[in-house]
Formats: sequence, structure tokens, C-alpha cells
Amino acid sequence: MDLTLVAQGLLSGLLFGGVTSLMAVGLTLIFGVMRVVNFAHGDMMVWGMYLAWMLSSRAGIDPYLGFVVCAAALFVLGLGVQRGLVDRILDAPHEMQILLMLGVALVLENAALVAFGPEPARVRSSLTLPPLWLGPLFVDVARLITFVIAIALTVLLGLFLFRTAFGRRIRAAADNPYGALVVGTDVRRVYAVAFGIGAACVGAAGALVAPILPFQPTTGLGLSVASFNIVIIGGMGSLLGAFLGGLIVSIAESLGAVFLAPSMKELVSFGLLIVILLFRPAGLFGKRAA
Amino acid sequence: MSTVTRRAFLKATAAGVAVVGFPLPLRAQAKTVKVGLIHTVTGPLAEPGQACRAGAQLAADMINAAGGITSLGGAKIEFLLGDTQTKSDVARTEAERVINQGAQVLMGTFDSGNTAAIVPVAQQRRVPFLVDVAAADPITANVAKSVKAGQQKVQYVYRNFPTGSSFGRRAVQYFNEIFKETGQNPRRVVVMHANDLFGSIQAKGFKAAWDAAKPSWEIVDVIPWPEPPSDLSTEVSRAKALKPDIIAPITRPASAQLLLPELIKQRVEVLGVISPGSPGLYEAGQIAALKQDLEYVMDNVPWPNFKNPKTQQVAAEYRKRTGGKTFDTQSGYSYDAVFILADVLERAKSTDPDAIVDAIKKTRFSGGLMVYGGPVIFNDLGDNPNAIPAMIQILGQKPLVVWPKDAAQEKLVFPRPKR
Repeated sequence: MDLTLVAQGLLSGLLFGGVTSLMAVGLTLIFGVMRVVNFAHGDMMVWGMYLAWMLSSRAGIDPYLGFVVCAAALFVLGLGVQRGLVDRILDAPHEMQILLMLGVALVLENAALVAFGPEPARVRSSLTLPPLWLGPLFVDVARLITFVIAIALTVLLGLFLFRTAFGRRIRAAADNPYGALVVGTDVRRVYAVAFGIGAACVGAAGALVAPILPFQPTTGLGLSVASFNIVIIGGMGSLLGAFLGGLIVSIAESLGAVFLAPSMKELVSFGLLIVILLFRPAGLFGKRAA
Repeated sequence: MSTVTRRAFLKATAAGVAVVGFPLPLRAQAKTVKVGLIHTVTGPLAEPGQACRAGAQLAADMINAAGGITSLGGAKIEFLLGDTQTKSDVARTEAERVINQGAQVLMGTFDSGNTAAIVPVAQQRRVPFLVDVAAADPITANVAKSVKAGQQKVQYVYRNFPTGSSFGRRAVQYFNEIFKETGQNPRRVVVMHANDLFGSIQAKGFKAAWDAAKPSWEIVDVIPWPEPPSDLSTEVSRAKALKPDIIAPITRPASAQLLLPELIKQRVEVLGVISPGSPGLYEAGQIAALKQDLEYVMDNVPWPNFKNPKTQQVAAEYRKRTGGKTFDTQSGYSYDAVFILADVLERAKSTDPDAIVDAIKKTRFSGGLMVYGGPVIFNDLGDNPNAIPAMIQILGQKPLVVWPKDAAQEKLVFPRPKR
């Protein structure tokens, strides 16, 4: 086995992992706080991608700046979805929530199909080329920037949750909504903001990945499934788990493409999922179910 | 909530049953031939599926405007539109639906898997199925085999499109001819392909044709990826490590947008990127998205014969109707299929399924707009052996036929200039 190839696989996987981490962090935040599985996660990400594409093609804003706008827009979308829809079924059985979110996913996907057509789209960043070379290893600048911004955003989110008063309220509402209510937290508002932040994460992730990954309205489902995989491996509701899970899955897939037939690489990540579920059903960093 | 009374419900049901169950009196009023036109109009393969539908509709409008099917008293072609959503199970139910609504012929679907799902429906319900676009060999070959073995009486499935295996044979032939023509002697070819049904069959066909032809060049590795891919950088690193002279990719539109820039980024130095057959690589949207990354790329695809002035006219009309789309593989073959069908119906003088099949078997149609190796005929497998691909190359950001020589619009550029 060619060592350069292994090192290159490791590096490519790590760099791509930043953005899968950010995507999964958004999903796990929503689940951790509201116990709602956001099946529209991938489709929200696709909308982040299309917003970045519109900003870049219509207004000439580079996606590496435009991601802020995308995150803000998705925050509003997330807030709206939570207030208008999710809030009504928070106490409903899980299957109701799943059906609702699948409905949202279908609406988002087909709205994108109507608005942008079925052709794959791609965003060009002025920073996309040329790549750097570390000896025989190449570093794609786009991936590097994406990685750095994604990590920075994840760290910022962590600081927000663990170092600010509102962050504490979110965690309190996640931990014990009734208790949070008793001490005067507006839990409904907290939920709406948390859903908004989760959506903003995936909106930013979408904008950041848009220069790397071509996308179509149908791209969402695959992204949702990839996010669930990561979140389950990392532990449902655990931020650190989603973050590290994203890196682990991305590197595992990349190395899978080196050692196996590349078409089998998804086997590696989903195989990992089965192994984790067998030996640590709560995920790597999840709390054990009572 | 509004309530539906038992009587209203019964009335509505009875009316519904009357319409669905006794469509004949309704059908007799307007003289039409009902054609179930089923394509991948939504889902991952929506773009080519929509092109198929647009091409077929253009052809039907032209036939209807010129007086319809004369031998059937000027019957117009009426499409019952179906959408597979790029899902095989939906393809099957859509076929069932249009047949229940009275479809007398089926056409479709662009995707090999979806098309294969419709085949048993067509055979069971005895509805002739003219495949306009779909390459996988088994679609027709399996039916031909079971008819030959006596398990089924009549073959209702026919195809006017190059088969996967013929793609491979032509690709190897064109590779050899292009290398010879340009005096080049590449040694190492790396095949990279999408691992869906189409991509896998296409890759296998190319490899099998190469095994059979034993040319001077070698296929050093075959690298498949899951389609749609999320990332191809490791796959490209792997290909680069093999020091290839030629990259032979079999892509879908989304994977092409990932693969071709990655080849440039990772500085994979090759004499050329020549695809044994990738749909959509030449679409205006693809060229706009990939720009220089697509320049000099060659693709072995069924392509309209633009040396035919009629093709130019139809392409201009198609562009006008679709808001600037290229008349290409999909729209072109679907267009031709409708004209072949009109020719068949004209000779069949009936919409009886077996009369249509008899007429299909005797087809000798030379009004097609694609690059053909001869008139449209159907062999004992139900395929047209004269449906052949052409080698196109993106030159000056335009897809142009460069091989075979007699259909070439422009001289080919090989090896590609260094960047």
C-alpha cells in the first residue's frame, strides 16, 4: 500500500470532516434540546447551498463570506419551522414528529426543484484554486478554508452554550424543561432559538461545502442520512460526539476509499454505525439511557 | 370538517368506476393513439428525464400538426405523462397507471433500472414498449431470451438506443482509431465510474470489449464510486498514484462536477480524459458550471447528426421551446423514438398490440436525426444495431462531434494541451 495515498486519504478525510461535523452539530443540538429528530436537516442544508449559490451568482458574494447570510437566513427558517410547526407537536409521539419533519423535507426539496430546476449546481469561489502542495501531499485550499471556518463556528457555538447566560438556559431547558420553566425560563423561546441555531449551523455548513460539493434539490436526503449516522455514532444530543463523530466518519470513508473499492466506502461508515450500536448503544459520547 | 354522506360517497364512487371501468366510449370521441410517456422527470435524474419528455413532445407536436397517423384516419398522438421520480418501484406503478388509463404503447424512461422495472408490466399487459433511452443490455435481452425459451409468447419490448455492450465495443474502437489518427501511443488507462446500474454496466461493457479486442493499451485499474458521491478526492488520488496516460470516466452530471475539477486540482497529468460514455457531460448547464475543467474532454455518446440540416432546424426549435437547452442525446433519441413509433403505426394500420409488434419488427426507418450506422432496424434481441454513439469533444466550450470521421464537425484535439 502506497503510504502517500494513505496520508492523502487521511488528510482529505480530515479536511472534509470539518463541515460534516458542523452539519451534525446542528442536528444534535436540535435533538438534544427538543428531542425532535429533524428529518429536514439535509434539505435545510441544500437551501443553505442554494442561498450561497444565489449570493455568489447574483451579487458576486464569495461563499466564504456569504455563509454568514446563509446562516442568518436559515436561523429565521428554523425559528419559523419551530414556532409554526414543531412547537405544536412537541408532546406528540415520535412518529408524528418524524412525519411532520419528513413533510417539511419534501416541501423544501420540491420548492428547491421548482425554484432552481433539477440540474446540479456548483458555486465557484475565487479562493478555490490553486491547491497547496506539502511535498507529495496536496491540500485543497477550499477544503482548508471550509475546515477552519467550520471548526471556528463549532467552537463559537460551544462557547455560546457553555459560557453565556442564554446558553445556560438552553442547556437547562434541554436537561429538564419543567425545572427550567419553574425558575423562570421562557422555554418556548429557548426552543425556537435552539432550533434556529441548529438550522443556522446546517445553513453555514451548506454554504461552506457549496464550493466543494455540487448539489441538486435531491442532495438533501443523503445529507440527512449522513448526519443521522454521525450523530448516532457520536451519541444523540452530544455536541462533542457530533463534532468528533463527523471527523471520524469522514476519515473512515476516505480511508475506506483507499483500502477498499471506493464504491464500498459508505460500507465503512455504516459498518462503524452497527459496531457502535452493538457495543455502545448510546454512542461514543452519549449518556446511557436510564 | 365537512362531512361526506353515504349517498354522496356512493354516487362519486359509481361515477369514478364508470369513468375508469368504461373508458371506451370516451376514447372513441377523440381519435388519438395513447402513448404512455414515462421518464425520470423528478428525482436525481430529473434533468435528462425532462429533456426526454421535451424531445418527445416536440416530435409529437410536429407529427400531429402534419396530420397525425394517416393510416389510422389522421389519429393524433396523445401522451399520457408518467414520472418515475427516478425510482424503480414508482416506474412500475406509473406504467400500470397509464395502461389503466388506456395507453396503447409505452415509451421511456432514460434510467436503465427504471426501464427494467417497466418491462414485466409491458409483457404481462401486452403493451408494446419502445425504449427511447436506456442502455443496459438485459432490458431487451432478457425478454428475447425468455421468448426464445418459450416462456413468453411475444416480445413487446424494443429499443432504439445503443446497448451498454455496444457502447463498450465502440468506445474501444474509437480509442484505437483516435490514438492511431493522432500518432499517440498511450499505455495506461484508468477507468473511473459511478456504481449505479448504468455506470457499472457501462464500465463492465468497456472492460469486456477491451478484453476481447486486446489493444496495445492496458486498463490498469477500475475505480468505482458510490453515486451520487459526496467526495471524490481520495478516488482521484488513487487514480493519480497509478500514473495514468488516459482517464476514462463514466460519470453522472453531479459526479462529473466533482470529478473533473478534482483531476485538475490534483494535477493529474494525462494525455486526455476520454469517457466511454457519460450522459449529460455536454449539457449547457454542465459546461457553464465546469468551464475550463471540461475543455478537451471527450465523451462517447449517442449524439444528433448536426451535419443533417433537418437536425439543425429541430435543434433550433427545441432551443426556443426549452429556453436555450441543447438538442442532445436524450431529447434527440426521444424525438426519434416518436417518429419511429409514428412510422410503425402508419404501417401497422391498427393499435392492436401484436400488429404493432409485427410492424416494429419490419421497421426500416431512415428519418432519424441522430448519428446512426444505417437505417433504424430491430434485431432478434429487439435492439437497433445501427444505433451507435459518436465521440464528441468539448472545444471552445461547445460539444462537437469529432469521431467517426465522416460525422465529425471539428478536428479532434489529442493529446490535450498542457495547462
